[in-house]
Amino acid sequence: MSLRRRLTLSLVTILILFAVNVGTHFWGSFARNESMIAYRGSVNAAQLSKEVEQLLQDQRQQILVLATLRETTDDRLEDTELQQAEDAITTINGKIQKLGRLSQSVTELPYDQLWESSSYLLKRWLQFYLSYNKSNFEMNMNDPLPFLETSQRLKELEERQAFIAVQRATIIVRTISLTDRITVIAFFSSIFLTATLGFFLVRYTNTSLKRLKKGTERLGGGDLNYRIDNIDDTGELGDLADAFNVMSSKLRNAIYDVRSAKDSADEANAAKSIFLANVSHELRTPLNAIIGYSEMLHDELGDEGEVPRLQFQEDLYKITRSGQQLLTLIDDLLDLSKIETGKMSLHCEHFKPTDILKEACDALTPMLRNNDNTLELADLRGLPTLYNDATKFRQIFTNLLSNANKFTKKGCISVLGREIPERPGWIELVVRDTGIGMDEEQLSRVFEAFVQADSSTSANYGGTGLGLAICREFCDLMGGTIEVRSQAGEGSSFTVVLPTDLALTHATA
Amino acid sequence: MIVSKRVLLVEDNELNRDMMVRRLNRAGLEVISAANGQQALNIMVLDQPNVVLMDMNLPIMDGWTASRRAREDDRIRHIPIIALTAHAMEADRLSALEAGCDDYATKPVDFPGLLIKIEKLTRT
Repeated sequence: MSLRRRLTLSLVTILILFAVNVGTHFWGSFARNESMIAYRGSVNAAQLSKEVEQLLQDQRQQILVLATLRETTDDRLEDTELQQAEDAITTINGKIQKLGRLSQSVTELPYDQLWESSSYLLKRWLQFYLSYNKSNFEMNMNDPLPFLETSQRLKELEERQAFIAVQRATIIVRTISLTDRITVIAFFSSIFLTATLGFFLVRYTNTSLKRLKKGTERLGGGDLNYRIDNIDDTGELGDLADAFNVMSSKLRNAIYDVRSAKDSADEANAAKSIFLANVSHELRTPLNAIIGYSEMLHDELGDEGEVPRLQFQEDLYKITRSGQQLLTLIDDLLDLSKIETGKMSLHCEHFKPTDILKEACDALTPMLRNNDNTLELADLRGLPTLYNDATKFRQIFTNLLSNANKFTKKGCISVLGREIPERPGWIELVVRDTGIGMDEEQLSRVFEAFVQADSSTSANYGGTGLGLAICREFCDLMGGTIEVRSQAGEGSSFTVVLPTDLALTHATA
Repeated sequence: MIVSKRVLLVEDNELNRDMMVRRLNRAGLEVISAANGQQALNIMVLDQPNVVLMDMNLPIMDGWTASRRAREDDRIRHIPIIALTAHAMEADRLSALEAGCDDYATKPVDFPGLLIKIEKLTRT
């Protein structure tokens, strides 16, 4: 259950209990009030009954005295006395009526009976007074029956009222104790409910928050694989845990990305340093010869006697050769740098590959003799005209042929070519030799710069170690690829694949 | 002036070897040359040169291996070796010294400096 639901539920429960309390209070107050009014009415009625009883008794006493007087003497009543007596009777009648107004449904019957008998009694008494001064006065007032009946009825009513008062008082007491009990029960239930809910809420929240806290600490401590689990909650804390897990996943990925970016930056940096060290090495080797021979010739010129001209010429030639080697290296470096900075541009033209391959082979011919190699150029006149950079094409094959010759002794170098049947619009050119070949380790790094700068190779075979790196970059630039197959001692085979029309390839790419 | 000290020059580059041999000869040193580390070790044992000038990047056996082997071989342990290499970084110098070389010179060679180093190491 979600935290919000739990809180809402707790609130609703507490509100209901509160409403019960308030309701009980109002009901109790209403019930008490009603009973109080009834009780007060009964008490008033009882009091009034007593008054009426007293008045009736007094009046009867007075009437009995007057009746005796009238019988024995010729007594007369003055007008004021008469008036007073009439007023007294009217007062009694009024009080009895008031008693009726105070009377309730349960006392209705005794009251009606009282009213009946009292009306008769009072009417008789009034007649007594009215006829008192008359000469033919004849009234027997000694008959106690009407008075006793009225008294009796009044008493009954009084008892009834008293009974009601007691009853009402009981009700009031009961109501009070009931409302008190309800209030206390509701109060303790709300306390219990609040405490229980609070306890569970705190415990649940605490457990979840502890997990979250632990997760945060672990993550903060660098444990990026830490995940918060076991929060079997679909509410806010579950959502929070999910969000936390998503966040830590993203964080981990981001950090991995940063790390791998840093690693590759470090690698690139290290590669640059190695490259620089290699450049330094490659520059120093020919410089060593140049400076060494120059210093030596300078020393020899200072010697006594004839300078050996032939030897001198030869040494100067060595200096020139080393200088040229240095120049080639610098040119190659500049080419690589241009490629790397994206400044190497292509100058496309239409050319026949066979023409350029023929020229490259011709240029190699003088070198072939040094290693006793033979060169076979297949008949490639059937190859289509290419639209690409002819200069770079020439450079690639000059490099490949010179490499092949360099690493082959008393062997054969062949140049083959064909259109690729399963790939229309592409040609494949192969330079194959029967030379020393390469092992797998060499093969995997053959296109990297300065790989042959293992100076045993460069010392024995010459070259800058940049030729194949440049070949690969050129092939790439020209929209093609270069691949090598070789086995140690079994010769090597370089395969160049190029599009016939670079513009077309770029357009469809 | 150094009198008839025998120097073993280990250098695979023909041009550099030729140049160094001639210059060392002019300086009055007797020079034997080798083109790789294995050859160098053999010559050290047989000819007992006074000092070895060792290029480090060599075919068959490189200069580091050859120096290490020389230091493990009682017959040639005492012969001083000067590393001679186009690797000019500080780390390269240290790796040569660790391999057992006594001194280190970078190419292009400061020839008078090299002669002083030879003199220092062959003084008896």
